[in-house]
Amino acid sequence: MDSEYIIEMLNIRKEFPGIVANDDITLQLRRGEIHALLGENGAGKSTLMSVLFGLYQPEAGEIRKNGQTVRIHNPNDATALHIGMVHQHFKLVDVFTVLDNIILGAEDTKLGFLQKKVARKKVQELSEKYKLQVDLDAKVEDITVGMQQRTEILKMLYRDNEILIFDEPTAVLTPQEIDELMEIMRGFAKEGKSILFITHKLNEIMAVADRCTVLRKGKCVGTVNIADTNQQELSNMMVGRPVQLQVEKMPAKPGDVILDVQNLTVHAKNSKKNAVHDVSFQVRGGEIVCIAGIDGNGQSELVYGLTGLEKTAGGHVTLCGKDISKASVHKRSEAGMSHIPEDRHKHGLVLDDTLENNIVLQSFQEPRFQKLGFIKKDAVRQYAQKIIDQYDVRSGQGPVTVARSMSGGNQQKAIIGREVDRGLPLLIAVQPTRGLDVGAIEYIHKQLVAQRDEGKAVLLVSLELDEVMNLSDRILVMYEGEIVGEFDPKTTTVQELGLYMAGAKRDGKGGAQA
Amino acid sequence: MTFLIQQTLLYAVPLMIVALAGVFAERSGIINLALEGIMIFGAFIGVLFVHSMQNLEVFTTAAREGDWLTLQGLELLAMVVAAIMGAVFSLLLSFASINLRADQTIGGTALNLMAPALVLFLIRVLVNQNTLQMQTGDAASWFMIKKSTFGVKKSVDWGFFGETFLNKIYIATYICIIIFIVLAIILYKTRFGLRLRSCGENPQAADSLGINVYKMRYIGTTISGALAGMGGFVYSLTTANCTANGDVAGFGFLALAVMIFGNWKPLNIAGASLLFGLFKCIAAAYSSIDINGDGVYWLAQIGISSHLYRMLPYLVTLVVLAFTSKKSRAPKAEGIPYDKGSR
Amino acid sequence: MKNKLSDIYGKDGTKKVLASLISILVGLFVGTIIVVIVGLTKDTITPTGIWDGVRLIFAGIFSTGRDAAGNLSWGYNPQSVGNMLFRATPLIMTGLSVAVAYKTGLFNIGAPGQYLMGTMASLMIALGIPSEVVPAGIIWILAFLGGCLAGALWGCIPGLLKALLNINEVLACIMTNWLAANLVTWAFDVSNFKNMVENTKAGYIYKTTFNGVETPKLGLDKIFPGSQVNGGILIAIVIAIAMYILINKTTLGYQLKACGSNRHAARYAGINDKRNIVLSMAIAGTLSGGGAALYWLAGNTEFYWSTYQSLPAIGFNGIPVALLAVCNPIGVIFTGSFMAMLDIVGQQLTGYTAYNEYITDVIIAVIVYLSAFSLVIRMALTGKPKAKTEKIEKKPAAEKKPDTQPEGGEEA
Repeated sequence: MDSEYIIEMLNIRKEFPGIVANDDITLQLRRGEIHALLGENGAGKSTLMSVLFGLYQPEAGEIRKNGQTVRIHNPNDATALHIGMVHQHFKLVDVFTVLDNIILGAEDTKLGFLQKKVARKKVQELSEKYKLQVDLDAKVEDITVGMQQRTEILKMLYRDNEILIFDEPTAVLTPQEIDELMEIMRGFAKEGKSILFITHKLNEIMAVADRCTVLRKGKCVGTVNIADTNQQELSNMMVGRPVQLQVEKMPAKPGDVILDVQNLTVHAKNSKKNAVHDVSFQVRGGEIVCIAGIDGNGQSELVYGLTGLEKTAGGHVTLCGKDISKASVHKRSEAGMSHIPEDRHKHGLVLDDTLENNIVLQSFQEPRFQKLGFIKKDAVRQYAQKIIDQYDVRSGQGPVTVARSMSGGNQQKAIIGREVDRGLPLLIAVQPTRGLDVGAIEYIHKQLVAQRDEGKAVLLVSLELDEVMNLSDRILVMYEGEIVGEFDPKTTTVQELGLYMAGAKRDGKGGAQA
Repeated sequence: MTFLIQQTLLYAVPLMIVALAGVFAERSGIINLALEGIMIFGAFIGVLFVHSMQNLEVFTTAAREGDWLTLQGLELLAMVVAAIMGAVFSLLLSFASINLRADQTIGGTALNLMAPALVLFLIRVLVNQNTLQMQTGDAASWFMIKKSTFGVKKSVDWGFFGETFLNKIYIATYICIIIFIVLAIILYKTRFGLRLRSCGENPQAADSLGINVYKMRYIGTTISGALAGMGGFVYSLTTANCTANGDVAGFGFLALAVMIFGNWKPLNIAGASLLFGLFKCIAAAYSSIDINGDGVYWLAQIGISSHLYRMLPYLVTLVVLAFTSKKSRAPKAEGIPYDKGSR
Repeated sequence: MKNKLSDIYGKDGTKKVLASLISILVGLFVGTIIVVIVGLTKDTITPTGIWDGVRLIFAGIFSTGRDAAGNLSWGYNPQSVGNMLFRATPLIMTGLSVAVAYKTGLFNIGAPGQYLMGTMASLMIALGIPSEVVPAGIIWILAFLGGCLAGALWGCIPGLLKALLNINEVLACIMTNWLAANLVTWAFDVSNFKNMVENTKAGYIYKTTFNGVETPKLGLDKIFPGSQVNGGILIAIVIAIAMYILINKTTLGYQLKACGSNRHAARYAGINDKRNIVLSMAIAGTLSGGGAALYWLAGNTEFYWSTYQSLPAIGFNGIPVALLAVCNPIGVIFTGSFMAMLDIVGQQLTGYTAYNEYITDVIIAVIVYLSAFSLVIRMALTGKPKAKTEKIEKKPAAEKKPDTQPEGGEEA
């Protein structure tokens, strides 16, 4: 009776208009194993898991539990089958307490009234047993990302799940926290729980997984035993060609100071603490300075303060010798600042407008694009075509394509083309490769290095430590709104950065040389 | 003073219940801009119900013989009917914003245009006037609870408390307060309340936990419609002598402002509606308000134009919004249609 | 040939027009159903009466009254058409008002207030400056500009509140509407423009012709004899064309649209979103105020001044005018005329049947309701549901976010 596999997804097919997200994919999960699901962004991993979790219905294929065919129509069915999932973007209600979040959807009630005492006891026991420390009465918006993740894990345990799905769980963690998470996952496996671990990071798979299924462009490439493989092979399976893991670049030749930030402070939106506190640093022409840190430690606010999107509470910003501390976004742009924003949908593009209009988003008021307040349509189109050709932006209808209909990679290329082509001395790039596939990432990395080699100052904000180590000439680590250390990528290690990112270590004020 | 408190309550209580109507919709994620329209509709339905039931013998006899319990029964029935029809009317909004993912602002505006048009059309066709009234008698003679209701002489003094809260009052006012308290507890202490609130904050999370977001939003908006419909009737019963004319003079929007001022929390809303009720009461009855009981109608005598008093509620609303808007915290997902497909 | 047809059908513009036509038809049918139901339940209304009501809803503009036998008579009625154009004038203006604000992502439900302020300013100027001293033509221009300016100032208030304090413009607009209603009543109450001459007109303000000021007819009265039409309609059409150019061809229009479809991206690009919000509301106010001026300066209608308990329908009806036209200024000319036609239909219903003009308001409300999800209708016309679904649910998200969160707030 007992099948070898606790969960089998056989020949799953899931289509969305225009694309096949999952094409004949088979995934078999053994009892008590940690099974990695590897693939690039957009390879179909999340779709497949959503099918398993009942969020999508597949067009073809079947799901079996213990050899029995099951139908999963919604998350309730998944829960009934004891399948639980920690989503990449946490599914937590910010204004609820941790406890409320854990019980939501599985509440104990008497006459409809919540009975939180029983729940609290059960959660406390689980939390102690698995060393998942959380503050049950804190609101989710007030706790760290790490604790939010533990809340998500407790949600699964509270529902007695035996199949645990982790969707890109390490993206938001420090290297040390990642190690802890791996330990917790091994603990679960030892207890007989089965784990599906979705990631695109090879070293994590090598460290913790028993087997690995690789997806590429919606298709299943194969399943391998981790003991019989290595990183390079996995990488080839994932991308379909050998990947250049290291960015080739010449040593930096730093020139004059382009950006000088002194004691910059930015108030936080919803708390009394400063989001950015007394931060000072410089960026010179011809170097890439990278701000590293866990998400939410003030990087975004720092960029908002630098670019003028938000008012600063104190300190000075000097660009090319000009004080721009109080200048408008427009004035800063004129002074020589270009900016690849963190969120290309929110800030980078007017999604419902055409590509050509997006390409002149900042420059439409320049004389080359307008006369007496009337827009020169032809000039705009010619320029847009030039950017499209030069930066290889692929789109359905060229300049008149609606930005929303383009792929993420091409949207990002358009933004990068727009910003780089302005030829300004400072380029601020915030998570420029987020959510893109390897090809696009390689392209963007090359562009950034090319800018540096032309003598431009590049300030890169990134959450990906690999990217930080690969690209930067100097690394500044931000923790809770302050710069806690400065490093040379050639002499530091990921582990050391991790200690600083977690706030476990810090240098003197302003960040002395490490 | 007694007069001032009573009048303030008359305005504050419908305001409170309609603001709570807003809370139930918005906490589930739907912006209910149609409160005004639903109130208008509810007021019409309630008055129409009273208007047509007055002919029934049981009620005519009751009115003649002073059988006040039966008449209170009629009042309660009218409230229930207004609530039911308000809920039905609000389904138009739920359907458009939940199933068709319509723009909720425009949808609500449509209902606000629809209600007075429909109501005026029907009133005109039914009674050939622009205002629908009771067939016989008025709100005070049929529904108001006063000393004579219990056969007590007017001259008997019930003391400050009795005079203020037991004499010349409507049972509807107290029913609304009770409903308000019960619903506030439900919102915070029950499984339903927890789930409803989660849908207005993070519907994706709620969905991933097996909560049917569409259903919760339907329920939230329907409760909202019922409360607003009932509030509309209570408003017309207690402040407009049980008449309906397709207008509540922006009262539904004031309720929205009260809701924002109260930060979507029932307790704050109760306080806020008292404040707004006071201003609305001053605007409506400034000339007969005798604050300290010395027979001097101070507000009318200091020479401020009546027009200014009438502007007061709206002016105060703007000022209050100006001061609270920076701090106010709306449910995160309100106004954003939920689509199962996009997570 | 076949290709060409499908080309036209495939165009987004065509679908917008089709969606609007569907909305109108559904609205008319709902009106019809109500008329029939009410007719069947009321004993006083005969089947002929119902049939008359239905016919008037669809073709009231061609009604020429009742003939000797008491039957409805039909034909081209220049008076009705002229009156329609006269009434369309302010509707086109308030429609433009709502449309321009909507392009900047603002829902201008404040048109009634702006319209009232425009009414007050233009009437006071037109009646206040003695025409013996200043030529009537100059007074007319001053009164028109005064109306525009008053509307603009009134529109600025919710604009400023939105830009500086992030107050939901819908609520602010509603409050300023009622403030305007009270303010206008107050101002006329203490003025000496109240009609004291004609007994039947007590409670009204003098017509502007009392001071010799009126909009020139420009020969339109010859084309539509017996009607109220005047040159105002031509001014409104010119303004609509100007708005089309402003929005589609200029850098200002580009900025307004960018702020409207993604306020965050506009800020990121160095566009001053706050200035644009105020500017957009000011333009919207100008248009509503100007609409009021064009209506009252015609000099053939009296203004009922004690208006503190009601808001002008012309202001609110700017919303369906704009939505039906999908906020295209040229389209507004047509939808404004259509709404004016419904107005005439309402009059015919009141005059010739047991029904009344409020049925047309119900029809208008149904049309607004349908335009709330006109994207869904357009989607159904396309027959490609999923691809466009995203458009629908993403767009409001982008628009609504600034309301509910402090601007620039982090999300995701």
